[in-house]
Amino acid sequence: MKEDKLYKDRRYKINELRAKNEKMTARERTLKAINFEEADRIPIDNWMVPEIKKRCQEYWGCETDNELLAFLGVDVRDNYGPSYVGQEFKKFDDGTVADLWGVRRKIVTYGKGTSYEGIFKEVAWSPLEHMNTVEEINSYDGWPSPDWWDYSKVKSDCAAWHPEYFVLNKGDRLDRTAQLKPMMYLRGIEQTFIDLAENPKIVECIRDHVVNYFVEYNPRVFEAVGGEVDMFMMGDDVGGQRGPLISREMWRRYFRDGFRKYCDIAHSFGLKVMYHTCGDVYQLIPDFIDNGLDMLQSLQPRATNMDIKRLKQEFGKHLSFQGAMDIQQVLPLGRAEDVKKMVKYAADNAKPGGGYIFCTSHNIQADTSMENVVALFEAYHEYGGY
Amino acid sequence: MEGLKKLAEYVEYGKRQEAKSLAQKLLGENISPDTIVKEGIMAGLNALGERFEKFEAFVPELMVAGRAAKEVLEVLKPKMTQGPLHKIKGTVVIGTVEGDVHDVGKNIVAMVIEGGGFKVIDLGVDVPPSKFIKEVKYHEANILALSALYTPTRLAMKGTLELLRTEGIRDSIKVMVGGAPIDQNFCDLIGADGYAPDAPAALKLAERLAN
Repeated sequence: MKEDKLYKDRRYKINELRAKNEKMTARERTLKAINFEEADRIPIDNWMVPEIKKRCQEYWGCETDNELLAFLGVDVRDNYGPSYVGQEFKKFDDGTVADLWGVRRKIVTYGKGTSYEGIFKEVAWSPLEHMNTVEEINSYDGWPSPDWWDYSKVKSDCAAWHPEYFVLNKGDRLDRTAQLKPMMYLRGIEQTFIDLAENPKIVECIRDHVVNYFVEYNPRVFEAVGGEVDMFMMGDDVGGQRGPLISREMWRRYFRDGFRKYCDIAHSFGLKVMYHTCGDVYQLIPDFIDNGLDMLQSLQPRATNMDIKRLKQEFGKHLSFQGAMDIQQVLPLGRAEDVKKMVKYAADNAKPGGGYIFCTSHNIQADTSMENVVALFEAYHEYGGY
Repeated sequence: MEGLKKLAEYVEYGKRQEAKSLAQKLLGENISPDTIVKEGIMAGLNALGERFEKFEAFVPELMVAGRAAKEVLEVLKPKMTQGPLHKIKGTVVIGTVEGDVHDVGKNIVAMVIEGGGFKVIDLGVDVPPSKFIKEVKYHEANILALSALYTPTRLAMKGTLELLRTEGIRDSIKVMVGGAPIDQNFCDLIGADGYAPDAPAALKLAERLAN
């Protein structure tokens, strides 16, 4: 940590509030929250794009990412799983690179020449897009294998955070346990939607390959971590801005069984399950609960029906929550007061009885001002205390 | 008329082969392309739009209906002798803004608007403001439709509007915006003419803006 007066002054408020609120370790606090008990304060998780992380380090005088997380009072530590040791991912002349599934991605820059310039890895080529039969899809030579990973270090990686912090097995964003998302990457998003409407056999075929992979891979990860992880996170976007992307009947037909299997496997290792989905999934929440979900992540406030007050009232006895901070309007476009108001609203409504972790509904994006990021973290500590 | 009703149903449920054969047959019975568009395609898309509003239809259903509408329109095009339909409803230049390569929502909107009788020039993804302006001028478009998925990329919408002003053509074109991080506030903030949350709403908005 840089000790110049400037940085010390900037860190002062958060340090003061933390000293006042905190009476337990990050892990104790978060375990309480996920078990529907009130801790000393609402636990904090942190999702931000690398560009914002860098700006935060500069602003608060932190020299590493770990220093930043420790200073901010972030209670959750992410584990990205085992190391990939399979064949080297192929690079192509057009600049694209294949991923675990053989999907080719390219780097796209946004906000060129502005203060919020950044990059995303985007799908550039989907290997199954032009296949017409189940036989062709079955004979695709790019299906991944759980043997392509080295599981030997995952336990020590997680143990380095335990017992002080709450460890989340998060997986890599692009290989995270899911069903619909890998299908979209492999088949193309539009073709996937068309398949869902008219090619059930193809949907089932791709889904089975995906589910079978994760059903083999996840137990190996959970076995390898040897109790050093507290929660497993899967992520599969099934919500749009104004409702689920697919009907409840379609979700039940194609994705319910896989969802349940993923939850059951994690539970059999004593792990809780967090599920990330963007958008409005209100209609699907009872099904998520019935099929084993412990914590729903994102609670995107700008999506219809995802107001934390309502979700807590209707589902808060059976489901815990993480998220609810708006990255679409309030953080990038609002004022610091709006950010504080948003944090207070979530705290007031989600605090009673535990069951809530503060976080943004997705990564804080590069278009967000430092002023608002500061307001966010200060407000977490200002309003999170019990 | 029974045939048109059936066509509307085929479009609504995305049965493109049946819809195309039936449209061909209706043309053979001397039903005008305009009538087929209005009472077949549009009736089907509107019925779907209503179901979408009520959460009885979702993205897969929109996708196949939009595709069916577009393909039926292709069947009708050669018969549109009294001037192409786009002269009636207008020309829309559409694209995903610079820095953003997401096009599923944009493609559904393009299909539905085209199926609804507009001429649509789809510029694809990652479209710089200068390209939008060039194409708007070239096609003498009435409407410019801008899409974005990420919050940082949506600021490119503002840049595109600014360039329209600099080029002195802002008053001669209507600009509609859409995409997950867009809402009416953002639309007002950047001074666009309209926002639509989904494809059926986008078609209605285009019709309103074109008048």
